Amino acid sequence: MIEVNERIEVASTPQAVWAILSDPSAVVECVEGAVLGEKQEDGSFNAKMAVKFGPAKISFNANVLVEYDEANQSGNVTARGKDGISGTKFNTTMQFKVEGQDTSPDNVLTAVPIKASCELNGRLAHLIESGANLVIKRMTTSFAEKLAERCGGTKTP
Amino acid sequence: MKVYERLSQAFKAEGTTNVFGMMGDGNMYWQYANQKNGIIMHEVRHEGVGLGMADGWARATRNPGVCTATCGPGTTQLATAFVTAARASSPVVAFCGEYPTSDDEYTQALDQSAFAHGCEAAFVRMGTADDADEAVRKAFYIARTQSRPVLLSVPMDLQQKTWEDDEPYVPSTAIIPKRTVTPSADAIAQAADVLSKAKRPVIVVGRGAMWSGAGDEIIKLAQRCGALIATTLQAKNWLVEDEYQIGISGTYATKTAIQLLSDSDVVVAIGASLNRYTTHEGLLYPEAKFIHIDPKAHVLLSRGKGADYYVQSDGKAGVAALEAELAKRNFKQLGYRTGAVKERLANAWEDRRDYKIDEGTVDPRPLCVELDDLLPTDISLFAGSGCTAGFTNILFRKARPMVMAGHFFGCIGQMMPAAVGAVIGTGMKPAVLMDGDASTMMHIGDFDTMVRYNVPLLIYCMNNECLGAEYYKLDAHKMAVETSCIPTADLGAVARAFGGRGALCRTVDEVKKATKEWLAKPGPMIIDVRVSRSVVPLTYRRIHYGEDE
Repeated sequence: MIEVNERIEVASTPQAVWAILSDPSAVVECVEGAVLGEKQEDGSFNAKMAVKFGPAKISFNANVLVEYDEANQSGNVTARGKDGISGTKFNTTMQFKVEGQDTSPDNVLTAVPIKASCELNGRLAHLIESGANLVIKRMTTSFAEKLAERCGGTKTP
Repeated sequence: MKVYERLSQAFKAEGTTNVFGMMGDGNMYWQYANQKNGIIMHEVRHEGVGLGMADGWARATRNPGVCTATCGPGTTQLATAFVTAARASSPVVAFCGEYPTSDDEYTQALDQSAFAHGCEAAFVRMGTADDADEAVRKAFYIARTQSRPVLLSVPMDLQQKTWEDDEPYVPSTAIIPKRTVTPSADAIAQAADVLSKAKRPVIVVGRGAMWSGAGDEIIKLAQRCGALIATTLQAKNWLVEDEYQIGISGTYATKTAIQLLSDSDVVVAIGASLNRYTTHEGLLYPEAKFIHIDPKAHVLLSRGKGADYYVQSDGKAGVAALEAELAKRNFKQLGYRTGAVKERLANAWEDRRDYKIDEGTVDPRPLCVELDDLLPTDISLFAGSGCTAGFTNILFRKARPMVMAGHFFGCIGQMMPAAVGAVIGTGMKPAVLMDGDASTMMHIGDFDTMVRYNVPLLIYCMNNECLGAEYYKLDAHKMAVETSCIPTADLGAVARAFGGRGALCRTVDEVKKATKEWLAKPGPMIIDVRVSRSVVPLTYRRIHYGEDE
């Protein structure tokens, strides 16, 4: 089980960050290698996601469900997917929340604490688990940068 | 004549010239008879090493290797080597004594059938004294036809019975038909249809192709259809004379090779099992169609899949037929064999990642590159498993009489015995073994065996004083790497204490100097090279750190 406890800080307003995070297609655009597919009857989305583990690329067909709590500006994401070639499966749950830190005009800062767990299964999984851990952390960093970019701000170091 | 004498005669008639193992009261009479019959005994310090040597003999000569152990505790020592030989598909016959049939409470009693089964070995038991011939013939028959190790279990008391039959022994070779499996015209036509439409074909060659002697035919086919040639780990460095041979397909592939293999549209596998490592769980060839040429009725690929087109054939005959069919169709293309690809391959094996080298140690990468240059090409190479394989399996690139690499059971320490057996099996020609410190230490007692038989094997112990695979895995998990660190003595001095030669080296120049001394007079030697832990093998960078290069 890979666990992520990250706190992304973006130099942008909570409203701007929430506007991105409350739009599944905008969120997916912040995830490197991800493409959103059709919306399903249950509100979930099909998605494709290509993840590089070392020089090899694993292409997952995934299903993603995002549940929002507008009042608290938070959300739960559950995603599961499978790679047809290697048989690798993943199952992920993620909780996030948008928190305003400092909204003075010259020091806009929003924090997004993210808590996620990702389980990899299949024969490749045990082989790459420690590498996958680092890959997911790198993807989280990349997500934060792209999110900040879309918000028109910058990711704080 | 006693039954043990008849058993010895039967082994000799099966072609046994050398036996590796350790004497006990369950096999000593048979060994005594062997000595009288002119069979050379190599006494080892651990029974498992004896089986490992027989395994190496079998891999090098393609004839059954023979080892021996006494009943019970002698036999159980064979466990890891048995599984390794089974995974290596090595024909090996292990003559094992068994407790007396009249004494169920014998101290060394063991259910050797269950043991063999657990170790993935076939089991043959001499149930009565009259069955001596049949038991030996059956053991060799299984080893030869199924290419696997066999435990021949012979009760001690039955060995002492009188053998009264005076008919000559009929060896298994007399009843095994010799024939080459040739391909059907339909299968070849189908394969040619697919291959002639390929734009970026790749030929993956394994041990089966090597053993069938298909080298020239493979290069001819590759030139005709514009294919790159990749090898399995077991066929490492084969066909490197071809400028489009791109190294190993799988975990030990270079980054450039992975990029090219991933874009291939047709893979022709020849005498290669295309297991999960060769295909990297299929990820190396996401879009390719597979043509598989192999003499077996069928071979299941990684993840239980079959090839799109299967050609049952001996490698050489199958490749020649496929090339002839394409020639008949006037098909010839550049495919992957372009100047641009050649340029990409030129230095693809180089590892340019910068690391700060620990003081008093060597960067293992230039060590491998310089040794590959320094060692004449008539010196064979054996590459152990474990952490060091991440360097040796990529950076040693020259063709040599024997290049033996492989993980098989995934255990460490098994390549030294295999190397000794292979060197003895091929006329005591000088060879080197690249291995790690834990592997070297595991069977260092049998360096004594190397000394007693003056085996011209130079062991380079790439000594990082830790269990390398675990060291980097712990590091990736942010756990204390010191948990995996184990200091060693000066193994060069240990080698000298055994009566061989040895050196402790902390620079590449020191290694080269010691190597030149060995080349001047090859014999048993250990060069203990202290290597830097700071350099992470490329394979571990990929697996444990998810990095690209």
